[in-house]
Amino acid sequence: MSRRRRDSGSVWMILPLYFFTLIFVAGPLIYMVALSFAVPNETHGVNWAFTLDNYRRILDPVYLDTFAQSFRLAVTSTVIICLLGYPFGYFMARMEPGRKKKAMLFLMLPFWVNSLIRLYGWIIILQNKGLLNYILKALGIIEKPMKILYSYPAIVVGMVYVLLPFMILSVYSSAEKLDWSLIEAARDLGASRTKAFWTITFKLTIPGLLSGIILTFIPSMGLFFIADILGGNKIVLVGSLIQEQMTRGSNWPFAAALAVVLMALTTAMIILYRKITNVKELEGIG
Amino acid sequence: MKKIAAGVLCAALTAASMSVPVLADSGEMVLYTWEGMFPQEVLDGFEEETGIKIVYSNFDTDETMLEKLSMAKGGDYDVIIADDYILENVIQEGLAEKLDKEKLTGFENINPLYQGQFYDPDDEYIVPYGAGIPLIVYDPEMVDIEIKGYADLWDPSLEDSIALTANYRVINGITNLTLGKSMNEEDVDSIRETGEKLLELAPNIRLIQDDNTQNALLSGEASVAFLYTSQVTAALAENPDLKVVYPEEGLGFGIMGMFIASDAPNKDAAYQFVDYILKPDVAAQCFDYIGYYCTNKAADDSVNPDLVVPDSVTSGEIVQNVSQEAEEQYSKNWTEFRAACD
Repeated sequence: MSRRRRDSGSVWMILPLYFFTLIFVAGPLIYMVALSFAVPNETHGVNWAFTLDNYRRILDPVYLDTFAQSFRLAVTSTVIICLLGYPFGYFMARMEPGRKKKAMLFLMLPFWVNSLIRLYGWIIILQNKGLLNYILKALGIIEKPMKILYSYPAIVVGMVYVLLPFMILSVYSSAEKLDWSLIEAARDLGASRTKAFWTITFKLTIPGLLSGIILTFIPSMGLFFIADILGGNKIVLVGSLIQEQMTRGSNWPFAAALAVVLMALTTAMIILYRKITNVKELEGIG
Repeated sequence: MKKIAAGVLCAALTAASMSVPVLADSGEMVLYTWEGMFPQEVLDGFEEETGIKIVYSNFDTDETMLEKLSMAKGGDYDVIIADDYILENVIQEGLAEKLDKEKLTGFENINPLYQGQFYDPDDEYIVPYGAGIPLIVYDPEMVDIEIKGYADLWDPSLEDSIALTANYRVINGITNLTLGKSMNEEDVDSIRETGEKLLELAPNIRLIQDDNTQNALLSGEASVAFLYTSQVTAALAENPDLKVVYPEEGLGFGIMGMFIASDAPNKDAAYQFVDYILKPDVAAQCFDYIGYYCTNKAADDSVNPDLVVPDSVTSGEIVQNVSQEAEEQYSKNWTEFRAACD
């Protein structure tokens, strides 16, 4: 089979893809890794000498802590996204076709607006004189406006808001493929609703949940603009540290070393997921 | 026929690549700076008064300017305006004309606050053209204390209420100033102490942001803000009741400087132009337009009063490049500080 394919000339069809990958994926990666061993110049640019100092610098507790912060935020957001996104996706899959379409439309609608603009919308809701404080005050729950904006919860709200649709969609797509007659059979055989759910539905939608986790956890390790905009830059995530070292600090080698470590960590996590779950059909790594 | 056409094309291309600034002979002068550095009236006014035509050529970054001027060995361009740090390289490489002050009747108009800087300690080459100064702005209705300097930012009554811009060298720099040190302190141990002092500021920080930081002040999200010049102007335009503080410890500023190229093709015209810009009424028009602090003392009365630093302020320092070790410690201080703000 494989021989026939090769003979039919399909190699030439995928050759451009190889070139594309080499130039746009492997090229920058190699450059970044090489950069992470270079020495920064006093003012701008780099010296191509070999050093491990950039990596040694990461071991400083100040910088290690940024990895811990990023991890903590990613875990917090992912857990909340799972709790909200799973039931959402599940119930969406069970809707009648007409409603399903509408739900899908409402889910996709926000994507038509740039995510930065949507986050600025959250500023208007969360600020001192904002909508949320106004409502809470009108209901008599608080007397003085709460300082919600530029706090940790505000960042988590932003992360959950931006990443939730990815979880919903992947849970939805695996719940939709579910053969509901299996549940009927279980119920006929005397299983309670909960039991049927946990032994059949949940188990069969685990691939969707896990791919949702990957789709939300991995980006949330790197999403730092939410912490900038809604968190007032008060927690230091690896992403924002990299950006700062690239621009103001003009220390590209250190930024590259941070990026290499971040990438190694996320890759390790994907491998770990794969090992634990033994699910090979997760999006992108199957 | 083809050959001729090709030849003509070649010649045209060569001419085009060489001619941009060189065109200028007696009746012209080449001005080389960023886009939008002069109001059109000022340029027109100069042409009317002297009959010299201005060729406005612009660059995007200081580095481009240095490279081009260096390639032209100080020729091709007449008057150039660029940022403070690059002026040092320009002077060191001999690309700036040592000014003949006889030809500059307005040289006395320059505010001495902006003179004697590191790039030109004896004021031989540079005429300052506008300064950017990060300043403290606060809402007196929301703040119980009177803020006079950077040190007041540490006051416990300001808990969770300060908006900061995100330039870590400047923030470390003002902390240095409160400790009686230079903004450009180089000693790593001393910078470490600065970091400890900076950590004590963390509880007072509401947010750190570089873009539109004034909005936090205007929306009441913060009651005190440390802002760039353009943000100070924007904040005051929106709410004139805000108070601007010229910190008693001294200012940190960035200066744009005007100089004549060492081998300027139209040197006389260049002198005439610099002297024209030094006229008080012309200078006022320029600073109103670019929105930077007025570096011309004689223009202080006619320029937008928000762009005049009061006489009580007598010292200021420019943030300069420091050694790699010092830079790394400053950046580490900053990361530690930001993490402590949460």
